[in-house]
Amino acid sequence: MTLFLQQLVNGVALGSVYALVALGLTLVYGVLKVPNFAHGALYMMAAYVVYVALTAVEAPYVVAIAAAIVAIGVLGGAMELVVFRHLEGKTPVHMMIAALGVLFFLEGTADVVWGPDFRPVPTPLDGVVSAFGVNITEQRILVIVAAVATMVGLYTLLKRTLVGMSIEALAQDREGALLVGIDTKRVALLTFAISGVLAAIAGSLIAPLVLVFPLMGAVVILKAFVIVILGGMGSVPGAIIGGYLLAIAETMAGTYVAFAFSELIAFALLVLVLVFRPTGLFTKGT
Amino acid sequence: MLEVRDLRVRFGTFYALDGVSLSVKEGEIVVLLGANGAGKSTLFRTISGLHAPAGGAILLEGQDVTRWPAHRLVAAGIAQAPEGKHLFPEVSVGKNLRLGAYVRRRDVEGVRSTMDEVFQLFPVLREKERDAAGTLSGGQQQMLAIGRALMAKPRLLLLDEPSLGLAPLVVEEVFASIQKINEGGTSVLLAEQNAHAALKVAHRGYVIEEGTVSLSGGRGELMGNEEVRRAYIGI
Repeated sequence: MTLFLQQLVNGVALGSVYALVALGLTLVYGVLKVPNFAHGALYMMAAYVVYVALTAVEAPYVVAIAAAIVAIGVLGGAMELVVFRHLEGKTPVHMMIAALGVLFFLEGTADVVWGPDFRPVPTPLDGVVSAFGVNITEQRILVIVAAVATMVGLYTLLKRTLVGMSIEALAQDREGALLVGIDTKRVALLTFAISGVLAAIAGSLIAPLVLVFPLMGAVVILKAFVIVILGGMGSVPGAIIGGYLLAIAETMAGTYVAFAFSELIAFALLVLVLVFRPTGLFTKGT
Repeated sequence: MLEVRDLRVRFGTFYALDGVSLSVKEGEIVVLLGANGAGKSTLFRTISGLHAPAGGAILLEGQDVTRWPAHRLVAAGIAQAPEGKHLFPEVSVGKNLRLGAYVRRRDVEGVRSTMDEVFQLFPVLREKERDAAGTLSGGQQQMLAIGRALMAKPRLLLLDEPSLGLAPLVVEEVFASIQKINEGGTSVLLAEQNAHAALKVAHRGYVIEEGTVSLSGGRGELMGNEEVRRAYIGI
């Protein structure tokens, strides 16, 4: 039972990161129909920003996170401005190839700047909290709390503000959005910037728990795609539920079946969903 | 108010609009009659900035607004309830209306009072304020589309086939409200296949065929015209 609880907590922490990454991906897909493979590179870049801030600059962790949010938010916006804006109305294949191009470009950049090595990031919060026989590091608590706070913030932004409503409007009917006078170019830029911020929060929360390397985004982005397909392309609640579901399934499979199995589970789930419910588990009813 | 001069719109090698000229004067309801595919929707979409014309000009109160982006045209006073409605289906009726006032978002008081006016015009929208737009009936959705366009407080309202797919009683209700909107001072350009209902409320009209204006005149002239009667009224 203790082992189960321990793994559940670990799964929830991992799920928080998965959900944040998947949210940014599903948002950009839902609003702009861009399958943004480069989203994983934003997450990777955020981890490097934290790495540099904590090691070279020796800044406090909060400052490192803030720096990552600003830098990667701008990078996300720049992606839209430089690449995807010019692909409006093109086929999904164009979008996908462009996104892969951006992914390789950013991975290559990280490789040139920091090299291919796995780099450990200092752990600013190294305490451990114990309760009911479960040990949980302060960093994992921070991951869960910060992720949930981010999700609440995102939900409030989307549902309670006119800016958020204009994003939703564009997602639901592009022509309708144009006809009520929404500047769709600005909304597109904003959506990419928000997805960058979400990736930045995920990347800077995970950095102290893992090793940072140029390809660290690739594995995560594949899983985020699985989550987004699982939850329904473009669905915000689907990305959150899917993120936690996948992470808990992975942790449990790794504990009770075999460690190697945990990496397999995402893709097993993907195949099952694609065969039995290709529109996703939580698709919005229409 | 609105003047369209020799407007041409091309899709590949095909001219969907091949030199259309028409005008709407302050306070008028002008109807645009034409069969499916004659170019009515293309004209409306071009006026609203969703298509770039290949030639010609669009003037709003003397100002050249050809090739303006859609959002600037809404701010300048042209709002459209398009064919197919293009509502935000998963968003509530109230939020659809608030999004209609997007270009006036800083005028909180004004938006609230326009919303009251829309609710007075279409009381059913007030009842359904919290329901998702996608759950409304066809007639209610049409009312919401018109209401959403009114929220921008336009000087010129474009209505593309508002009677499409509606039951005759609902059509009457919609046309009565179009007349009321017009009496409030908004000029209206109306595209219709239902010439009978449209000519009852319009001051003037144009017949558009294969991308050009083939006939124009006052309400009485068009009502009395043999061809119009045969082609669009069916009597």
